[in-house]
Amino acid sequence: MRKIALTVLVMVLVALASGAALAQAPIESELVLITPVSKFIHDAALKAFADYARERYGVTVKTSGLPAGTPVAYGRIVEWKGKPEADIFWGGESALFEKLADQRLLQKLELSRELWDSIPPAIGKPKPIHLKDKDGYWVGTALEPYGLVYHPRRIQRLGVPEPKDWDDLLNPKLKGEVAQCAPTRSSSSNATYEVILSMYGEDKGWEWLRKLAANTGHFTARSRDVPTVVAKGEYAAGFAVPSYMAFEEKLAGFDLKFVAPRNAFVTPEPMAILAGARNPRAARAFIEFLLTERGQMVFMERGLFPITPKYKVQGSPGSTAELAVQFTGGLRSYFDTEVSNVYDEGIAAKRSEALKIRFRSEIEAVWKKP
Amino acid sequence: MTNTGGGLGAPPRTALPALGVAAIWLFLLVFLVYPLARIFYDAVTDEAGRLTVAHFVEFARDRFYQRSLVNSLLLGLGTVAATSALGFAIAFLLVRYEFVGRNLFSYLTLIPIISPPLVGVLGFTFIMGRAGTVNVLLMDWFDLVRPINFVYGVHGVLLVETLHLFPMITLNVVDALAKIDPALEEAAESVGARGWRKLRTITLPLTTPGYAAGALLVFIWTFSDFATPLVLGVHDLLAAQAYLNIVQFVDRRLFRMGIVISALMVVLALGFLIAARQYVAIKDYSSLAYSRVARRRLSGLRQALVVVFLSLVMLASFVPYLGVALASVGRGWSLTPFPVQYTLHYFERVIVETPKYILNSFLYSALAVAIGIAVGVPIAWLLARTRIPGRDTLDGLNTLILAIPGTAIGIAYVRAFHFDLPGLDRGLTSFWIILPLVLAIRRLPYTVRGSYASLLLVHRSLEEAAASVGATGVRSFRDVTLPLVWRGVLVGALFSFMTSLQEASAVLFLSLGGWETMTVGIFSFYIAGSANEAAALGVILILVAALSVVVINRVAGARMGGMFG
Repeated sequence: MRKIALTVLVMVLVALASGAALAQAPIESELVLITPVSKFIHDAALKAFADYARERYGVTVKTSGLPAGTPVAYGRIVEWKGKPEADIFWGGESALFEKLADQRLLQKLELSRELWDSIPPAIGKPKPIHLKDKDGYWVGTALEPYGLVYHPRRIQRLGVPEPKDWDDLLNPKLKGEVAQCAPTRSSSSNATYEVILSMYGEDKGWEWLRKLAANTGHFTARSRDVPTVVAKGEYAAGFAVPSYMAFEEKLAGFDLKFVAPRNAFVTPEPMAILAGARNPRAARAFIEFLLTERGQMVFMERGLFPITPKYKVQGSPGSTAELAVQFTGGLRSYFDTEVSNVYDEGIAAKRSEALKIRFRSEIEAVWKKP
Repeated sequence: MTNTGGGLGAPPRTALPALGVAAIWLFLLVFLVYPLARIFYDAVTDEAGRLTVAHFVEFARDRFYQRSLVNSLLLGLGTVAATSALGFAIAFLLVRYEFVGRNLFSYLTLIPIISPPLVGVLGFTFIMGRAGTVNVLLMDWFDLVRPINFVYGVHGVLLVETLHLFPMITLNVVDALAKIDPALEEAAESVGARGWRKLRTITLPLTTPGYAAGALLVFIWTFSDFATPLVLGVHDLLAAQAYLNIVQFVDRRLFRMGIVISALMVVLALGFLIAARQYVAIKDYSSLAYSRVARRRLSGLRQALVVVFLSLVMLASFVPYLGVALASVGRGWSLTPFPVQYTLHYFERVIVETPKYILNSFLYSALAVAIGIAVGVPIAWLLARTRIPGRDTLDGLNTLILAIPGTAIGIAYVRAFHFDLPGLDRGLTSFWIILPLVLAIRRLPYTVRGSYASLLLVHRSLEEAAASVGATGVRSFRDVTLPLVWRGVLVGALFSFMTSLQEASAVLFLSLGGWETMTVGIFSFYIAGSANEAAALGVILILVAALSVVVINRVAGARMGGMFG
């Protein structure tokens, strides 16, 4: 009720201000996201969009984000059964978006040809990482690796060399010092488990993961907690952390480092409009905005990489964009380098159930705090 | 009060009250009985709606769940044991002995309990965590390579819960001790029962009802708290499993298991409630007269020991507040005993940039209190003044609310009110009014108890006098009873308000975008990785709660204990 009252109020104000008839408003005055992408990014994106919408369409859009882990967000969208409480689903694995499209819970994006074509269909070898849906239901928004974080001073005190590759986490001196989130609760963790299994094969992969569990001192409830506990110094290193989450801690004044080891999973942070969304035009305008240079800047200043070769992370010396480049190891664009990827979307989708079951029985049920 | 023929033109005496009683029952049926019935229904049916016990069988066979059940029970019992030892000792000292700072300590004892969910344990980790102040100092002084693990694990949960909840025991025992007629103890002494014997045969039995009520609440609280264990990395507990399974929606089997676990928790809570039934039903307040207790003055050395002991306990239970306060203003605080950089940015963010948390919290809690008074005061009146049928059930339902884990009721609401309302095309879960409603139900017992206690103190003859000059039931209630009981109602209302502000578990499942309260804000900031903003909101919440406690204390005197029992 309050929502309706507010909406009406906003609409009346807008109408008074612009003198335009309500029916002619080019986009709706509300926009709601449901997203696992953290507040740090989604708040900034929404704020930038609100400014843009005011300038471009003369509409004051009341934006809000419904933060939810990928599995939760997916589950709620399914529960909403086509009558969603949000307009846009953003982030997570693209496989989930395809599952939603199959259930007719997404609507086609219908972006302009030019915008759509500016995004390459895929990157990565030997396996491709798709950056947009061939049927037009979802589109990537930014690229980001899921890597490792560590606390340099804690690592130094433990007498361990700074980790560069996955195997460095298995160092016996790191016993009890690693934090990770269960793959049953986090899509970034799930994807990184999948990378390990693809690299080492099923049996050796699980052996590796059991060793990692033996070094793990803390299974966090959410993936976002992993960089938090490492930044604070509660644990020395973290597993499967999206680059921007680590960068957020860096910007918050913490001393921590990020590294994306070989074959680290790279996500395109897919975005889609929900079928039955109450604000479809505002949703489309939001997506179009994010793919412009101004929209991509929001990401580039926060530790993510552009989704198109048109832009590179670049800023004046000392800017946050430059700091981000430094933080993520000097990379400015994923289209500048060869991206090695072993994560196979098809296999991952098929294996995800079994992976969770095996994690529950072989790791969660037997794990004891070192 | 000039009742010149007021009763003559009034409507038939039974119509209005009957309607009121029906309305109260309807409210309880719709917002309490139905949602609970719904999760039991969910727990015994499969996706296709067929009856099945398969979920319970699965639960019983799963080793992880078995362990969770055992751990939850042990943790609950352990916390009860620890809080009892601490709570009893402190209550005894406060009531029976005179020492320096006694008044101050009896006041400070209230403070640990107002620590909001999640924030308390976060504050604890800031000071006692692996990189907390204590460990950093130890590492610096003794060149320790590995920090000492004070908090991560079940022992940490026990520690945090104990320091948070011992006041529940203290308050109830203080209340009970203060009501013991000194004559009884003197009599015991006159026949030679002194020291332990007197304690065992006279004092303890007389404090048992108050204590049992407090112990039950401590148990249920620990049993249903999921935030503390999750922050401390403990997942093999029922509440944590219920929460984790439900917030992941994808795996329908796990989701169903989450509901099953919630239902199981309600059953267990019911069991404990029935076990303690004779103590926790609305107490007979007719012996509400507080006796004057002669306090024994302690010798210098003993006094010093008592003061040191109490100071240490208070210091430990203030650790979370210190941690939260530092985190709310410290930037990039890591591996130093105290923050190095300070900022007000986090307060600015939660007050100026996003005032919705505070506004929503106050709005919903105030509405919840209003609903609570509208429903609760009449219930108290029915219980205290009438013999209407179903009175015991009403009392039972009220007490039951105290025992239901917040998680379970949150989930019950999600399941129960999801269907489209006729003519609205959306379910009740799509309207923010569901938040004040669930808060009102959760806090109803406080209003009922506060009003009930005061009603018993108002002598019936006053109402009879009003009736004799022609006032109807409603009118005498308004003109005579209400003015006399407002104090009890106010205390109940304030207490409901304060605890509504603190409520997280039930609200967390129901909150949608734009409805966030302070506690939901604390959770979402924490989940989003901004522990500092969470801490800033926590500080505000603590201040508001502390202020409420001061007001409640002013209004209610030392009778707060009665609220918990």
